[in-house]
Amino acid sequence: MTSSIFMHPAVLFIFGAMLLPLFKKFNAQKIWLVVVPLLAFIQIKYLPSSFGCVEWLGFKLQFGRVDQLTMVFLHVFTLMALIGSIFGLHVKESGQHAAAWLYVAGSLGTTLAGDYLVVFIFWELMAFASVFLVWYRKRKRSIEAGYRYLLVHTAGGLILLGGIFLHYQRVHDLSFVAVSPDSATLAEYLIMIGFMLNAAVPPIHAWLPDAYPEATVTGAVFMCAFTTKTAVYVLARGFAGFETLAIMGAIMTLYGVFYAVIENDARRILAYHIVSQVGYMVCGVGIGTEMAVNGACAHAYAHILYKALLFMGIGSVLEMTGRSKLSELGGLYKYMPFTMIFTVIGGISISGFPLTSGFISKSMIISAAGADHRLIIMSMLALAAVGTFLSVGIKLPYFVFFGPKDSGIKPKEAHWNMQLGMFMGAFMCIFLGVYPEYLYNMLPYAVHYHPYNSYHLAETFHLLGFTALGFYLMVRYLTPHDVSNLDLDWFYRRGAGWFMWTARNPISATNEWVSNIYQNVGLRFTMALARALSWFDWEGIDWALDGSAKGVVKGGEQVRQFQTGKLQHYIGAAVALLFLVLIVVVLI
Amino acid sequence: MLKWLFMAILAFCLVFDFFAERHHAHFWGDHVVEFWAMFGLAGCMGMIVFCKGLSHVWLERDTDHYDK
Repeated sequence: MTSSIFMHPAVLFIFGAMLLPLFKKFNAQKIWLVVVPLLAFIQIKYLPSSFGCVEWLGFKLQFGRVDQLTMVFLHVFTLMALIGSIFGLHVKESGQHAAAWLYVAGSLGTTLAGDYLVVFIFWELMAFASVFLVWYRKRKRSIEAGYRYLLVHTAGGLILLGGIFLHYQRVHDLSFVAVSPDSATLAEYLIMIGFMLNAAVPPIHAWLPDAYPEATVTGAVFMCAFTTKTAVYVLARGFAGFETLAIMGAIMTLYGVFYAVIENDARRILAYHIVSQVGYMVCGVGIGTEMAVNGACAHAYAHILYKALLFMGIGSVLEMTGRSKLSELGGLYKYMPFTMIFTVIGGISISGFPLTSGFISKSMIISAAGADHRLIIMSMLALAAVGTFLSVGIKLPYFVFFGPKDSGIKPKEAHWNMQLGMFMGAFMCIFLGVYPEYLYNMLPYAVHYHPYNSYHLAETFHLLGFTALGFYLMVRYLTPHDVSNLDLDWFYRRGAGWFMWTARNPISATNEWVSNIYQNVGLRFTMALARALSWFDWEGIDWALDGSAKGVVKGGEQVRQFQTGKLQHYIGAAVALLFLVLIVVVLI
Repeated sequence: MLKWLFMAILAFCLVFDFFAERHHAHFWGDHVVEFWAMFGLAGCMGMIVFCKGLSHVWLERDTDHYDK
């Protein structure tokens, strides 16, 4: 059974990443970059329902467990790996591709894992591989952001590991199955917090808008797809129906979208918007009905494609112009028309326009909230949909490609491979919108939902049309300025500053003081003690040892005088002794 | 031209809502004519005022704020 571990799609990506430098040497890196994800995309259809079971130190590890819920995520992850690799074909550094593929391997490994230990191993692989996608940008800011990203994820990983240990101590079973909300204890909640950190649930979300805008152009395309959606998968697998998730998810949708409205850096807007979109999925998982979990999975599938498409579009602009701030862009539609069209398709998909993938997935979660009679949550989700169209559907393309002012830059159109990547993303967005059954048939439960009914269409047109009217009326208040907004990373970024200050000033001063005292008092005392010990050693121990040694020598000398070595003396002494004994025995 | 086309679509939406079927109503709002139009407009404008205001009075900083 152990050998069946080699059919794991993560193995394909890990070996693929290891062989990349070799293919680069023979000028075949571009071919290899397409072949491996394509193989994985085909291979996942032939996976058995269980494989890669290993006995290790008395634990039963399961590297592969495949069911409907796994399948929908595997499908979109491998598809996204293919699109992302094509988008990054022009990047020559093998290291960047290798980091991306190891990251994909981590994500696939987590998705397929049947027990918590395997989840944890691949979870950490994801964090450690993805940080290189930030560092490869090689700017001071990226390196700092990468370290912060790594620190936060290490902390999250430790919380998860703590939860796993407590869980094992309680039930003596590591298998990764659904937890019932009634039986959850501290252990399960710690595991859930570890998962929530990767899903960027506020207040532990700030790593995402901190790191993603600092990643490389292709790195961000990968990062926006995998970390958060893997977290959605593990939450859907283990924690469906937890009320906390429903509430936190609804808060997330608004929190992310509020920041997306006010931010200036295009990739930071998109990063905040991930928080909002993942909020829909977390909320769907929290509601926990069949329809809601279906909606969460469908939305994860659709979201990966259109958010990656948006990151590809904005990434292309960044690649060709070196700029990503709205305040420095504008009027690019003349020079990058294809990028503009693809980005707008991403924008209308994410806003849920009819005939795009957002329409058939997002509405499923909102309807599920309505069907479950959660009116407050439903209206929060609907309001977030308004904000989505406002911030990413209109504001972003408007200020980048059209805008009140022309930035004056005349960039070239993006490379052919970038356009191909964007085309694939855009095609999938529209394909799913036109033919939703393709996605619905993959979902974990049977779907009884029909997005294309007249009322839902009318509702959508009202919502989007009048949001656009609001934008039209108030566009002058949205003019971007070169600023950034505070978020909860303030606590650890400023906190780290204070920590360093405390270390440099009071702690360092105390250290100085203690070492002065030691030099003046402690050192003299130690020397005096050493002298005293040395005297004791000389006068006490040596005297005793030497004395006993002298005693032994003297005793030996006396014994030696008895031992004359002449046999007749010994026999004589023995006879005399025997005689003496006889006398004593006879007389007494 | 584009502006008038946009306005025409909005007007059509408003008129259409008087005749829309309301079988799948989830809550009271679905029975109110033009509810989602008002929700969209008020939500959008309210969000701009709220978020931009909050940013302006509290959250907004220079981009190198943490480097100082």
